[in-house]
Amino acid sequence: MKSRSLARRGILNGNPVAMVLVGLCPAAAVTTRVIDALWMSVGVFSVLLLTRVCLSLLSLLRDGESAGPSADLRGGEGAPRIRWLGALLIASCLTASFELVLLAFAPEESASLGIYAPLIAVNCIVLDRVEPAAGGKHIPTALLDACGLGLGFAFALLLIAAVREVLGAGTITLFPAGTFGGTIEIPGLSSAPARALGYAGGGLICLGYLAGLSRLLRRRPVPAAEEAGTA
Amino acid sequence: MAEPRPLAVSPAPHVVGLVSSLRLTWTVAGCLLPAAAWGVFLFRVPALEVLGVAAGSALLAELLTSIFTRRVTLGDGSAFVTGLLIGLLMPPGAPLYVPAAASAFAILVVKQTFGGLGRNWMNPTAAGVVFALISWTGGMSQWLPVPGSAEGSAAVAPLEALRAAYAAGARPAGPLAVLSTQGYAWSGLDGRVLGWVNDHLLSWTGMVLPRGTFDLLIGNTAGRIGELSVPLLLLGAAWLLGRSVIRWQVPVAFLSVFCAASIVFGGLPLGRGWFAGGLYFQLFSGSIVLGAFFLATDTVTSPLTDPGRLIYGASLGVLLFFLRYFGALGDGVPLAIVLGNCLVPLIDRLTVLRGRARHREAA
Repeated sequence: MKSRSLARRGILNGNPVAMVLVGLCPAAAVTTRVIDALWMSVGVFSVLLLTRVCLSLLSLLRDGESAGPSADLRGGEGAPRIRWLGALLIASCLTASFELVLLAFAPEESASLGIYAPLIAVNCIVLDRVEPAAGGKHIPTALLDACGLGLGFAFALLLIAAVREVLGAGTITLFPAGTFGGTIEIPGLSSAPARALGYAGGGLICLGYLAGLSRLLRRRPVPAAEEAGTA
Repeated sequence: MAEPRPLAVSPAPHVVGLVSSLRLTWTVAGCLLPAAAWGVFLFRVPALEVLGVAAGSALLAELLTSIFTRRVTLGDGSAFVTGLLIGLLMPPGAPLYVPAAASAFAILVVKQTFGGLGRNWMNPTAAGVVFALISWTGGMSQWLPVPGSAEGSAAVAPLEALRAAYAAGARPAGPLAVLSTQGYAWSGLDGRVLGWVNDHLLSWTGMVLPRGTFDLLIGNTAGRIGELSVPLLLLGAAWLLGRSVIRWQVPVAFLSVFCAASIVFGGLPLGRGWFAGGLYFQLFSGSIVLGAFFLATDTVTSPLTDPGRLIYGASLGVLLFFLRYFGALGDGVPLAIVLGNCLVPLIDRLTVLRGRARHREAA
């Protein structure tokens, strides 16, 4: 696949949330405020990117060795299991680092994301990329793929969060900067918002519309294997 | 040789009858008119505004979606009935954006997103009202006093007033006694009618109907626009039943299971023990009659077979019992119906399959 289309796939036709329907848990849970969605996207994007790069590097490393104790890593009987273990360990370490960064620089946000920040380690989008990554040692490919998926996830999350926060709370919460307090109040809506959209049910309704609309708008049909694999 | 006719495959429900869906919906709308007229008579212009906005918003939403479906379905009347029912389930003092949004949600999200009339798996009316209840709890409890009620008397729907009184710790004999102590002013007509009934009809039984029973029955209390007058609602329901527009199974199972649960378990939450629950207060207040005959009987969202309808009605009764005695969201009827709708595919699966198996055995 061409590199440009590889990156684009994650954002459009292979969008993890809207098209492939993985990572729905955070997409419904942490999209009540735009700022939560933003941080969640940053977390998933960075963990995904770094995990893939690490795995590619690892596969280069083990190819360099001809024999020895790491025979399993190169495709012996226990290779897939070892691969999974390694990938999960890497993802967990990176997630823990993200959590610590969050705690250090945005403690309120860490409280707001709650369990969904540590759960990035087992996020379906991250796990989904472990197996292809284990075989792929081409680092630019890994980078582009991870970028596309991460941006696609961020795009979907921010879209859902914007709709839910505007309609469900009548506000848009961003960073406080200078005289700007961090929250935009929408006149008219903030006094009587449709609070139903702030609940999990409202999140799933928005998610459903996003998935439906992106299927309406997609340029070409999603390959059957891609849909079947994630149903 | 003539070609065999192609086999037509269409989504359920496969209702075959002499009446078109057009006549059906307009009959339902007509049967709602007496109760609607009573609500408008009591609350005047505000009630008329709420009804108008709810129906208008539903029609507008239906018109909007016809741009996408390229099929104008305004004429089948279902959008009008949905809007009218949403208006009837609103308190008369609701700010007008509440009925507008509830109707728009019902038509756009619950009905047309799934493909329009006949393809929606959830009752649009009930879902629209639940959406409004969750979103604008304050707006959905803007009650208005009935004309002729004393100055300063509480203008809260009976069920909501009772819930507030129980939450504040009141534990007297019956719901109507609680309301009386809460400053609920019953009409003079109520006193005269109940006095006559107690003296002449019930004196030999030793039963005494408490003040307010008659007001509650004829709907001379604060409440949602269309739920008030039980006799007028029953009149419309009787017409629908007589014309076979609705079947008896759902309302009968719904009401009887709810009544049985109320009598047996209704006293438990208040610490009065078994078989100590009230009946007529629960039956005459809130939108249970409106819901049982006009919402739960919706052909699209109720089961296909008669046993299925009985199961569906019974599960609605159980759900409503829990929502009303332990819930905090309105009077629970729309929510019970929305939850009941989720069970319908399961009920259909069980009952329709069983019917087919029996048929095979017989053959």
